[in-house]
Amino acid sequence: MTDWTEKHRPSTLAEVRGNDKARDALREWAKTWPDHREAVILHGSPGVGKTSAAHALAADMDWPTIELNASDARTKSVIERVAGEAAKSGTLSEGGAGRRVLILDEADNLHGNADRGGARAITGVVNDASQPMILIANEFYEMSNGLRNACRDIEFRDVSARSIVPVLRDVCRQEDVGFEDDALQKIADANDGDLRGAIKDLQAAADGRETITAEDVVTGDRDRTTGIFDYLDAVLKESDAQEALEGSYDVDETPDDLISWIEDNMPKDYEGEELAAAYRSLSTADRWLGRVRATQNYSFWRYAADNMTAGVAAARDGTKSGWTRYGPPSYWSKLGRTKGARGTRDDVARAIAQESGVSMSTARRKILPHLEVITHHCKNREATVAMTAAYDLSAEHVAFVTGSGEDTNKVQSIVEDAQQLRAEAAVEGSEGAFEPGPDQGDSRDESENLDTGATATDGSDTSTSVERDEASDPSQGEDPEAEDDQQTGLGDFV
Amino acid sequence: MFNAIVSADTLRTALDSVSVLVEECKLRLEEDGLEIRAVDPANVGMVDLSLSAAAFESYETDGGVIGVNLSRLEDIAGMAEADQLIHLELDEETRKLEIAIDGLEYTLALIDPDSIRQEPDLPDLDLAAEIILEGRDVNRAVKASDMVSDHIALGVDEAEDMFYVDAEGDTDDVHFELGREDLIDLTAGPARSLFSLDYLKDMNKAIPSDAEVRMELGEEFPVKMHFDIAEGQGTVTYMLAPRVQSD
Repeated sequence: MTDWTEKHRPSTLAEVRGNDKARDALREWAKTWPDHREAVILHGSPGVGKTSAAHALAADMDWPTIELNASDARTKSVIERVAGEAAKSGTLSEGGAGRRVLILDEADNLHGNADRGGARAITGVVNDASQPMILIANEFYEMSNGLRNACRDIEFRDVSARSIVPVLRDVCRQEDVGFEDDALQKIADANDGDLRGAIKDLQAAADGRETITAEDVVTGDRDRTTGIFDYLDAVLKESDAQEALEGSYDVDETPDDLISWIEDNMPKDYEGEELAAAYRSLSTADRWLGRVRATQNYSFWRYAADNMTAGVAAARDGTKSGWTRYGPPSYWSKLGRTKGARGTRDDVARAIAQESGVSMSTARRKILPHLEVITHHCKNREATVAMTAAYDLSAEHVAFVTGSGEDTNKVQSIVEDAQQLRAEAAVEGSEGAFEPGPDQGDSRDESENLDTGATATDGSDTSTSVERDEASDPSQGEDPEAEDDQQTGLGDFV
Repeated sequence: MFNAIVSADTLRTALDSVSVLVEECKLRLEEDGLEIRAVDPANVGMVDLSLSAAAFESYETDGGVIGVNLSRLEDIAGMAEADQLIHLELDEETRKLEIAIDGLEYTLALIDPDSIRQEPDLPDLDLAAEIILEGRDVNRAVKASDMVSDHIALGVDEAEDMFYVDAEGDTDDVHFELGREDLIDLTAGPARSLFSLDYLKDMNKAIPSDAEVRMELGEEFPVKMHFDIAEGQGTVTYMLAPRVQSD
């Protein structure tokens, strides 16, 4: 049996139901496309007719279509190759003047390995396109800012039950199935907003019957996702342990995210003894999440979920009432806020790690704290200059380590002095290579110098590495004499 | 019914010319030979191949269409030495293709032809210019252009009576001209179109360097390239839609 939603798909834009405004906007976009040459994003809930409208439009405009949807692997290379070429090329039958439309369905759903790099590639294709493009998405804001700004957007609203009933009536007439008005009304109500769902239910109800009566309509509810705020309200105020756990199945969050949501909002409702019990459950849940990460055994998620949902609900004394202002986990915003500072910290650690031959984490945990104490607020100026020179730090980095302001004269002058120190060290380190007339004595001096350098580097102590003798500067290794030992020059044979 | 014996070399050449554009395709089994027509996922490039029954050692069929996964079939054909024979037989019962190479048997599951992208009709284009040149000249043009750009212009200069290739990169340019004496034949006419090098590169892979390539060109129209394979017993036509000239 054919799928009625496919069979009765509108073949022209005029047949698209329930979204007149969006439909007109789409037609307008297509008609004026040669003038503005923008791509368009159609967004709205599932089953409201976005894909149908796109294809109907293509049929109306007589544009051949190229469609990429979630059933295709949409990696960067596939998108660039297929969508990119299609969007830049004319057609086989009409050449450069030929139009074609590129429909990217489920453009907000590029996930995982199969679609690696796809989201960014789409933005690139949109910016370079010389053919019309229609992007289709459920969540407008799941797409990147750059992509949203590059496109015109048209919202498809949920189709009201009032608009669904006439569509169902038409389908029944075309399929030659009798119906009671109540039956259609019931289907429309059950599927409020989702026209495709309603037609599917109609087909299910009509299967094997000549007439659909209200009793025939036994539609269960479709699985829908529960919003996180509704869920928090349930867990933290009313649910018992079992309801809390089962409710979490409908929430579209991973346990890693869910625990942050619960942990951050729970203290807004809980107090005293129950707060302590709830935290105990959360910490157990967190340990299970740690085990998942360590072992990659995702079946442990169930224990994490038990603890964070049922455990927290069970910790509550009775029920709570009233309205609480829940918010997204502050942990996330903190990560966002500290991104810059963490980046600077890593830069400093990388410089230290490179110079001292240790790992970045050792640099961060073992060396950086000492440096912070030694150079606190640049009080020990000499040491601060030495550190800046040794690791070749910028003003921003010095400010980070010492805690002084980046723009202060103090920090600026330290960086300048450090630069000078490095320059002097470099000249000294060249051992007069830039001065004319090297004499024999030089090579002996050099080997002594190298020795001192070696001892200095041996010391793993932090303070040694800060005030390290400039002789250990790596530029030493580049001196021409030392290389002579291993590499002959052409001159040696003349 | 389909039962054929063909040399590995011939089969591989034929498959290679199609596989540069698509991963799966329909084989049309006609009484006088094998035909493949396929268009790439972006609908930009198209290939039309026919391999006459004479190219086979033996060839018997009563017609039909089968869908195959080209890379699989190529892998199997790659198991044979160039001069070995490959025996292809369609098992009507199981809808599988039995492939035998000197004792090695491979049963290839076929794809439902309806699930393979429908190819458009070969459009009847009025292309003003026709250039006949050697495969190695196509190769030189494509290779040099690829160093600087991702697209090239192919055109005919009517006044100078020559065929030219232009590639403009961000910093470097390539220009390649072939006068009448460098070409096998030239019918001059107004022609200049821009094409994607990615596609031309792929198509170029399948063009033998000693082949005679008949190229048809127009003004912002698709290019057609015809050449023979399997000692004249097969022909391949590539068609490529032009880039839209942005201004």
